Amino acid sequence: MSVASIIGQALVLFGTFFYVLSSLGLIRMPDVYNRMQTATKSATLGSLGVIIGTGIWAIGEVGSYSWIPKTLIIAVFLLLTNPIAAHALIRAAYKSGVPLWEGSVVDKYKEANYSLEQVEEIGESLEEPSQEVETNE
Amino acid sequence: MKRILAIVFILIIGFWMAKALDQVPFGEDRMLVGKYYLEHVKEETGAVNAVTAVVVNYRGFDTLGEVTVLFIASTGVAALLWRKKRERTAKTEGSVVLTTGARLLLPFIMLFGAYIFIHGHLTPGGGFPGGATIATAFLFLYLAFTVYEIDHKIFEPLEGLAGVGYVTVGLIGLAIGGYFLFDWIWQTWGIGRENIGRLFSAGFIPIIYTLIGIKVGTELTGIVDNMVKEPEEGGQ
Repeated sequence: MSVASIIGQALVLFGTFFYVLSSLGLIRMPDVYNRMQTATKSATLGSLGVIIGTGIWAIGEVGSYSWIPKTLIIAVFLLLTNPIAAHALIRAAYKSGVPLWEGSVVDKYKEANYSLEQVEEIGESLEEPSQEVETNE
Repeated sequence: MKRILAIVFILIIGFWMAKALDQVPFGEDRMLVGKYYLEHVKEETGAVNAVTAVVVNYRGFDTLGEVTVLFIASTGVAALLWRKKRERTAKTEGSVVLTTGARLLLPFIMLFGAYIFIHGHLTPGGGFPGGATIATAFLFLYLAFTVYEIDHKIFEPLEGLAGVGYVTVGLIGLAIGGYFLFDWIWQTWGIGRENIGRLFSAGFIPIIYTLIGIKVGTELTGIVDNMVKEPEEGGQ
């Protein structure tokens, strides 16, 4: 048992623990948005731990350094893609009208969209008379 | 009533198949042809990956058939959905995160797809997974941007040329070695005999897999392109 394999095993254990936490969150959380939040973050962290841990474990166990660059590439790719996927999923869920949990108190996104519509309506009502004036001339 | 009948019927079929498969021992050494492949794959084809050697070299006709099936699928979708003027169905642009992510990740996905099909004789994968990965990159572009469209003047000729290239490699084998898909680079020329397990080895497997990768990538992209478009309003 070298130091590298102990570190690797600890990282894999750490990652698996966060996997368990994320699946627990999937059962525990009340609505889609909370579930996505727990699942994405802790599953990404867990994957990073497991993947890089495997690479470090391989150094200690097999003595091979060729695992580390591969695992690093996979980890970076996962780190870049997982948040984008979660963002797209949550945005699509919101746009298709999935309701928020009853306990949620504020929906700033809806308010922002609503006020944006109002601004546009005011702008249109301001433009209309000016057009009439132009036609009158 | 219908559902119960269906379940009973499926159970009978399942029991029958399980009964038949029960006679086949699991995990025992029952390889007859497989043993030959494993023992002779290196000196006969130069490939380290036995699967790609079997798929491209020993049973090249199957792969040619698969490529033909994909080509027919792509042509069939194009023929079914053909209209003179068609535009994308998507109306809302993806969010900024999605478009930026697509721009950022596209070259990496393409690179990885090319890596898969170029290294078909060394690592798991080959032309079909590599081509599918490249098509995924284009699917990503289609999902993230509403205005994106592939250049049909490049894509369709490339698809045809890759297929023609595969058949040409086989026909050169027919001229040199006497039968279709004869591995002339390895058997006759002996290129790469001393570096088995490196990139420049395994005869025509990398060449054919590069052609298949390009072909599958362009074909699946063409299918995606056909399916995300609808006839223009007011048009035909």
